[in-house]
Amino acid sequence: MTSRQLGKEALSAFLPNFNNISESEKIYVNFDDIDVFSPSWGDEFLTALYRKFGDRLILKKSSNASVNASVEMLEEANSIKFNIE
Amino acid sequence: MINDKLKINEAANYLGISIDTLRRWDDKGKLKSLRASQGDHRYYSLSQLEEFLTSSCVSLVLKWTRDNIGAEPNDIFYCSDSSVFQGRLYKLRKALSGNKEIESFFSLLISVVGEIGDNSFGHNLGNWPDVIGIFFAYDIKKKVIVLADRGRGIFKTLKRVKPELQNDEEALKVAFTEILSGRAPESRGNGLKYVKSIIEKNPLSLFFQSGEAELNLSQNISALKIKKAKQPIQGCLAIIRF
Repeated sequence: MTSRQLGKEALSAFLPNFNNISESEKIYVNFDDIDVFSPSWGDEFLTALYRKFGDRLILKKSSNASVNASVEMLEEANSIKFNIE
Repeated sequence: MINDKLKINEAANYLGISIDTLRRWDDKGKLKSLRASQGDHRYYSLSQLEEFLTSSCVSLVLKWTRDNIGAEPNDIFYCSDSSVFQGRLYKLRKALSGNKEIESFFSLLISVVGEIGDNSFGHNLGNWPDVIGIFFAYDIKKKVIVLADRGRGIFKTLKRVKPELQNDEEALKVAFTEILSGRAPESRGNGLKYVKSIIEKNPLSLFFQSGEAELNLSQNISALKIKKAKQPIQGCLAIIRF
């Protein structure tokens, strides 16, 4: 998960899953088993999901240093605050 | 090639040097040939040549970025497109995985390498001045990773979204410190800001050059000291030590 292009492709592949989601449903992102994460991949995927779902997007807490550093960078670069729990 | 061994002319061709240089290196012990006795033909194994190149990756990347005329680097370092780079980044990840010395910052190191390499492709897509793609090499024994491109460089790239920039030094400062949003027409993030934030909090160091400007970053030093490089380069060069 270290390329902007791959993040873009992942989002395109994933978006159809949200076609039938109700407006009250939340979307949880679980980072378990992620080895390496980067801001460019995250910007294409997580920031796009945030723009679409806002606070309904919930990032599960992660112990992976690259996930946490990337999420912090995305928040700063985009002036947003992810819902993390 | 006979039994995975290269003749001296094949080895010279592989390394991009002359046969005389290779003979000289053999005599001096810099790169010993494989031969049973003095009178025998000189042969070299492919793995021996690859190891030699890897151990010389810093000097090779410097030469590659400083040359006036661009040429594709040796195949073992050359990532012609982003997918080749991603594949080799995965190999680096596998090679460093489980290394206890770097366990605490392993994922950060790989993400930094990924951001720098991805930036090169993102910034130069469709606009490469000569060689398309990047030079990517690492020597795990020496704990060094190098990435370089012969692209447009930070100044030309950022000037499109920040026309007031005057030179490489100003551009490098902006790239490493300022959050830029809405960088139309290019969809790019703030990769070098991320790189800086990781380097200054971990036992890593970075030398970065673009055009005529260079900087050094290391742990616990957040002040950015950018200076004019002795020798300008085309594109960007990053040397990471861990």
